[in-house]
Amino acid sequence: MTQGLHLNEVSHHYAEGSNRTTALDRVTMSVLPGEFVAVIGPSGSGKSTFLSIAGALLQASEGKVKLNETDLSSASAKDLSRIRLHEVGFIMQSSNLVPYLNVTEQLLIVKKLSGKVTKDDKAFAAQLLGELGLGGKLTQYPDQLSGGEKQRVAIARAFMNNPQVILADEPTASLDTKRAHEVVSLIAKEVKSRRKAAIMVTHDERMLAYCDKVYRMEDGRLSLSESRSALAEAVR
Amino acid sequence: MYLAWREIKRNRMRFALIALIFILIAWLVFILSGLGNGLQTLAAASFKNMKADYVLLEQGSQASVSKSLISADSVEAVKQLPNVRGASPVGTTMATALKGDANTSKGKLDIALIGVEPGSFLEPAVIEGSGLSEGTPNGIIANKSMKDEGFKLGDTFKLDGTNQSLTIVGFVENETFNHVTSVFVPITEWRTITFSAPGADKGLHDPVNAIMLQGKKIDSAAVSAALANTETVTKAAAIQGLPGYKEESGSITMMMGFLLVISAFMLGVFFYVFTLQKVNQFGVLKAIGAENRFLSKAVVSQVLILSVASILIGVALTYAVSAMLAKSMPFILDVKLVVIYSIILLVIALLSSLASVRSITKIDPLKALGRVE
Repeated sequence: MTQGLHLNEVSHHYAEGSNRTTALDRVTMSVLPGEFVAVIGPSGSGKSTFLSIAGALLQASEGKVKLNETDLSSASAKDLSRIRLHEVGFIMQSSNLVPYLNVTEQLLIVKKLSGKVTKDDKAFAAQLLGELGLGGKLTQYPDQLSGGEKQRVAIARAFMNNPQVILADEPTASLDTKRAHEVVSLIAKEVKSRRKAAIMVTHDERMLAYCDKVYRMEDGRLSLSESRSALAEAVR
Repeated sequence: MYLAWREIKRNRMRFALIALIFILIAWLVFILSGLGNGLQTLAAASFKNMKADYVLLEQGSQASVSKSLISADSVEAVKQLPNVRGASPVGTTMATALKGDANTSKGKLDIALIGVEPGSFLEPAVIEGSGLSEGTPNGIIANKSMKDEGFKLGDTFKLDGTNQSLTIVGFVENETFNHVTSVFVPITEWRTITFSAPGADKGLHDPVNAIMLQGKKIDSAAVSAALANTETVTKAAAIQGLPGYKEESGSITMMMGFLLVISAFMLGVFFYVFTLQKVNQFGVLKAIGAENRFLSKAVVSQVLILSVASILIGVALTYAVSAMLAKSMPFILDVKLVVIYSIILLVIALLSSLASVRSITKIDPLKALGRVE
């Protein structure tokens, strides 16, 4: 059985008038449970398309995407939404919390979407938030939190449904260096301890030290970058 | 409900403003319905109260009692026809009552004289005093609103332009006709007053305006065939035939219709703009796995909470206004009508939220990523 996320020869085209733009060009990648992978590249290189396809938000024009043996390429819109709910945890660019829910409710809404909220769910949410250093902010609302705290709530939300895959889209975009390190190290810690397959799309080369592998994307093509340790050297 | 209620709690001001608009609309709807109902009651209450099902009229009277004149001799004949359980003659005339000292301009009161046979099913039950009797043709029963004009039980008043004087022997309630107070008089006395001018009775024996019939499923063709020169209509048709009634209720219905259509659009636009503002939020929820059904339910239940609260407050305000209005104001709240219009408003609000629901299903969860390459 092949666990984790597997992309095989995945291509995606956008139609722009009569032209056809290729956003992804035969991308192949495997991420196993417990692995934290980074994808870097200039804007417009196809990173977001890649993330959308990996996160079941978009279906690829060609190729196969497999998430824990489930083939995403042939799933219906309803199945995709179910897969997003149960198998994928998203950490978005600007935390994107629901403004009228407090910190605990931000997590519980994930459970609410799939049915009922149980006592165990509440305990799990409290535990997650505790691990992320938000134990004292359980009943605060997003407008009372700092940028780093919001992003940490978003991380907790991504783990709430106990997904197989964690996808992070520029999680440090609006944070200063200290907060950025804090947030990415927390993601890395949770990914390792909970054995998730994780992909982070980022511009921020400072953060690559936390990742096991680094891929570079350019004009829709994905290639494995230098080894992590070399990059880590460079950062130092 | 989970999202709906939490959002309302966090954004009280915004929802209070929308609720305020909705409350004002509901209030206007109920006030207008009360006024319409009041006017219609003023125009035809006595007629509506009569425990009759059909009305026998002169041929060519276009279902209008005031245009009809027939002989009461037909009463016995029509009683023999199939399905007719009862029949009794009725006559109506407008008159002016003179208060004790009629020299001042305030000393006159418009009344509608309704002639009925004492003791018949057309005579309303009194709430004070006694009913009509054959023995005292001058004894009449009047709507209790005459009390507000200074008339008391046992008072005798003259009719303007005649030598007739009438004595109040009893009071009834909720009896108005042709927008004025109803006064029930024995039919013999009614004839004396109405046909005092020579030739007014067109030579008919015992003339009356109409004969009210009791009984279900009376075949109007059979009645017309049996009695020459007559036509039979349902009581509902005869009410529509009252002078000005159709036009009056038409105006009210028209206003009501416009009001409801306009409010449907107004509420729809409000909810739609509200939803558009939250496109990004819904995108995020969709990205983390929310189905269209979940989000649509959240929007509709929010509209439901808002509508029910607004309608209830609207009803409360309406009853408050009705308690403050002057008695002479033709404003009557019918519980049945209030319930019906509440339901109509609720349905309108829910229907108008469908545009929002449609826009939700079209939101692309990709938007939540904040950028689409």
